[in-house]
Amino acid sequence: MTTLTKRVITKKPEVLAPAGTLEKLKTAIRYGADAVFIGGNAYGLRSRAGNFTYEEMAEGVAFAREYNAKVYVAANMVAHEGDTEGAGDFFRTLRDIGIDAVIVSDPALIEICAMEAEGLPIHLSTQASATNYETLNFWKSEGLERVVLAREVSMEEIKEIRQKTDVEIEAFIHGAMCISYSGRCTLSNHMADRDANRGGCTQSCRWKYGLFEMDEAAERTSLLGGDESGDIEEAFSMSAVDMAMIRYIPELVENGVDSLKIEGRMKSIHYVSTVANVYRQAIDAYCADPDNYVFNQEWEDELWKVAQRELSSGFYYGIPSEEEQLFGKPRKIPAYSFIGQVLDYDEETKIATIQQRNVFSQGDAIEFYGPAFTHFEQTIEEMWNEDDEPIDRAPNAMMTVKMRVLQPVRPFDMMRKQR
Amino acid sequence: MIELIATAESLGQAEKLLESVDTLYIGEDEFGLRLPVSFSRAEQKEMIGLVHDAGRKVTVAVNALLHNDRIQAVLPYLEFLAEAGADAVTVGDPGVIHLMAQHKIQLPYLYDAQTMVTSANQVNFWAKWGAVGAVLARELTKEELLQISRKAEVPVEVLVYGATCIHQSKRLLVQNYFNYVGEAASGQERTLFLSEPKKEDTHYSIYEDRNGTHIFATNDVSLAGQLDVLKEGGLLRWKLDGLFTKGDAFVQIAKQFNEAKKLLEADQWTMDAAGQLQKEIQQHHPVGRSLDEGFFVKNPEDIE
Repeated sequence: MTTLTKRVITKKPEVLAPAGTLEKLKTAIRYGADAVFIGGNAYGLRSRAGNFTYEEMAEGVAFAREYNAKVYVAANMVAHEGDTEGAGDFFRTLRDIGIDAVIVSDPALIEICAMEAEGLPIHLSTQASATNYETLNFWKSEGLERVVLAREVSMEEIKEIRQKTDVEIEAFIHGAMCISYSGRCTLSNHMADRDANRGGCTQSCRWKYGLFEMDEAAERTSLLGGDESGDIEEAFSMSAVDMAMIRYIPELVENGVDSLKIEGRMKSIHYVSTVANVYRQAIDAYCADPDNYVFNQEWEDELWKVAQRELSSGFYYGIPSEEEQLFGKPRKIPAYSFIGQVLDYDEETKIATIQQRNVFSQGDAIEFYGPAFTHFEQTIEEMWNEDDEPIDRAPNAMMTVKMRVLQPVRPFDMMRKQR
Repeated sequence: MIELIATAESLGQAEKLLESVDTLYIGEDEFGLRLPVSFSRAEQKEMIGLVHDAGRKVTVAVNALLHNDRIQAVLPYLEFLAEAGADAVTVGDPGVIHLMAQHKIQLPYLYDAQTMVTSANQVNFWAKWGAVGAVLARELTKEELLQISRKAEVPVEVLVYGATCIHQSKRLLVQNYFNYVGEAASGQERTLFLSEPKKEDTHYSIYEDRNGTHIFATNDVSLAGQLDVLKEGGLLRWKLDGLFTKGDAFVQIAKQFNEAKKLLEADQWTMDAAGQLQKEIQQHHPVGRSLDEGFFVKNPEDIE
């Protein structure tokens, strides 16, 4: 007699989401992130992303604790002389605030953190381009808790790395990608006097370049060719499409990746909520019953609603070809705009109170979604302003609007419409 | 006391370079980055013998980012190099450092993670792990280099002549472009360049090899006019990179730097000598490739 026991995966990988602001932090966690990564006011790589003060960090940590979620701080700059001043205090303060780990790439900062903020776990940033298991073993011997792999590592390589190391592995699953090995690009430094490894990246890789041959007499011959139609000259570019690993969650889980990372501290709450929500669903579904797991196309469709570029699986299944770069005219991607967030809902009247985030009008086809992947579509019928006067349009940013909704909604549910 | 380090592209060129430089820098492209030529094991062995016969040293490039397959293959290579008597290797992947420690490979190494090596504290971190020197990033200003020189516990190497790599992608960016526009051309030619939008005169070298795509700064570096500053500041390891300067032209440039070194060590360096050196370099430098002093002359405050 055979006993059939359902296999369940109890050690689920973490969904790690970006959070450029406190609002994004809370949104990401409400929408299913197990952990978020944020930036401090120093030592990070996103000088233009919203960065957190210590007070905001403390509030973020308190909020995360309620959900049993973690908060990591990216301090992944590559320091020059003088940059590390005060870093010891910085790391100690983070530790005392209750930050769960720091993400660092510069060995000088790793050392300061290890020496001066004992007890604060350190994760090696993807900027350090860790691409093999011995590198992970090295960093483990240095006391690091986790290594974020380079985006160039393939699924097969992850499998082998898992077998040959026991340090935690974090891998990118969604978002924009550097076209270079992270950290090994100083295009911005040389073209714009902005240090890519100290928060100044100008995304020069996405510019349009000439391509030519130059002979020994310095004669130039352009090598630019035509676009798909053959009529228009196509500039040389190095712009990568984005990554989406939603179809490959089973392999990532089975290969023992501990943390699945979503890129984008600059992205909106619309983006963060949608992407965290989708991956939460897929991971929960797989881990609950891996043997009967079925991929749900709705997840991918959902990701396309917030996509900014086309999506690919990066280096996981081979070295990306021209298909995974942006050439020619930008192809049309179905884009939605984020138009409101639910503040309140009255079950008796079935009226929702909404905070406006973008213009909407009576007659608009809209979609509501919330944590746990709840979704429904409807057309806007009756609306009122905060003085309960009927309106047909909600033009003002952050204005409060009431509207009748077809299904119950909850605070922090989001409202979007097709552009 | 000044050490001149030069790449070599052949045994013949090496013989001539050895008249001027202290150390030759060679390797194979499975483990070393952006070398003028990838040598076979037999050639490397022969090269090491040749250099040692001349009483000079050989450093071998093992500075690539290694994936699993190559981290496995690198151990026998390191054993081969130790056996063949290589004087040092450059290393940029901590996995290699870990392997060398575990397997007690007797090969001094210089830390060389390219763009990432930007502070004395970082250099000293690797010194604790046994690095006997470090190759500094090219995005450092004079002020920064001098501070690093003062604080670093091991000697640091500075590029005084040659091209600066500013981008390495694992993707085949040129091949991908040619595929898109439907041209049957190769990205492996080392005569290809990019120009920046709205700056048509710029000429960033670009080529592909087994390590992916490499892009270089629009101007090659020559610190001919700054050698006294380097010497005063204790920056005494000078790299000459002949990636794009072939054959005898590179030998001539090395010879000029050696003359400069002699003058500096005899305290006979003058502005005129610096000007003369710059003129000689210009004369042998490939036509169409321009020279400047790179980040050396930038103000750290101007870089955001």
